[in-house]
Amino acid sequence: MIQLTFKTLSSIKDQAVLDSIKNLLQSVDLNLDPQIDNFIIGLFEQQIIACAGLDHNVIKCVAVHPNYQGSSVTLSLIQQVIELAHDKGLYHLFLYTKPENIDLFKACGFYPIVELNNTITLMENTPVGISHYCQSLIKERKPDTCGAIVMNANPFTNGHLYLTEQAAKQVDWLYIFVVSEDASLFSADVRYRLVKEGVRHLSNVTVLPGSPYIISKATFPSYFLKEQTLIEQSYMAIDLLIFRQYIAPALSIAKRFVGTEPHSEVTNAYNHAMMDWLQSENKSTSPIIEVIEIARVRHADEVISASRVRSLLMQKKYQDVHALVPPSTWAYIEQHYVIKNQ
Amino acid sequence: MKIIQSALAGTLESSDLLVKIEPNEKLEIVINSDVNKQFGQQIRQVVEETLAQLNVDNGLIIIDDKGALDCVITARVQSAVLRATKEQAQWSQLI
Repeated sequence: MIQLTFKTLSSIKDQAVLDSIKNLLQSVDLNLDPQIDNFIIGLFEQQIIACAGLDHNVIKCVAVHPNYQGSSVTLSLIQQVIELAHDKGLYHLFLYTKPENIDLFKACGFYPIVELNNTITLMENTPVGISHYCQSLIKERKPDTCGAIVMNANPFTNGHLYLTEQAAKQVDWLYIFVVSEDASLFSADVRYRLVKEGVRHLSNVTVLPGSPYIISKATFPSYFLKEQTLIEQSYMAIDLLIFRQYIAPALSIAKRFVGTEPHSEVTNAYNHAMMDWLQSENKSTSPIIEVIEIARVRHADEVISASRVRSLLMQKKYQDVHALVPPSTWAYIEQHYVIKNQ
Repeated sequence: MKIIQSALAGTLESSDLLVKIEPNEKLEIVINSDVNKQFGQQIRQVVEETLAQLNVDNGLIIIDDKGALDCVITARVQSAVLRATKEQAQWSQLI
């Protein structure tokens, strides 16, 4: 058994180190993922022979040089990543790998959630993560035809309200999942509360907080990249397959509603991926989910979107914001933005 | 003792085990072992006894065992529980 020295790199400034990591990844057919904020490297006789990246709570870019492959190197490497994540307060970890490596990572305490066309698998470091989550959803289960909307609601606008009202008319019960990743201008707690207040008048709607299993940094990391238009098709597919195979069956969701998306490239691509991964018979053995696109409501000849509200907030055009959001959201904005800025 | 935070103890090295603990309403133990067929029942018994000794009746306990001896299992479970409860160890009572 070889003894490796492990090092944690939080940003790689040394070009030579970066190149050897890239070469190592290439030797196992992987590319360097730009979102990784920490790398663990394993050194043997001053050579980098193993590496693993951590992007928030997701382990990616795991590679062991072909000459040194064997379960003990992978085990010690993953052990190092688990400890690094643990030091950062991250306990629930996800891991992307090729399906042929599933057994190797099972030995490290990871369990598969979904597999995409023999190309990529998402695993998590608990055997009961997704099943516990589904059990918690089943408690909310309502009879009859159910629909769902997944929204970030950053913040909740008249556009979200319109989408919700239209969707609620078309089903017996509607679930709204509010994305719970804290990467937006409005915090997850505030977004959840504003959605709840905004739809209070509708008697057949349940608002649920999101989870790591719905549009999170684990299931769809590129969603949270604002400045970049790189869209990872496989991540969208993973996110949608989890919805189709676990979340929808737990709540008998047969329809998913979405607003048309004229502005954001990422959201638009996600809408298209939805049509495919949720509606095609051949993409999964789980029942299909009908995707219903609802045209966005307009105000003063422009569609209402949360990004427009945020941009108006930045410009301090509060009266324009007022016209685009429901009273509950306005009350929050008035308190936290308008008064602060006077 | 009440499990109030997530905690880890141990490693994935051979002859060791990694114990992960998370808050959970009821007590739930999941064991993933290389030697599950031969020793799964015995490992569970050691874990249950250790938890009972510490008065732990809640939490999700996930064990990734790599063929550890009983005394190692006991020690790792004790450490993980103490980290997950933030309580001071009463070592004289545990040994």
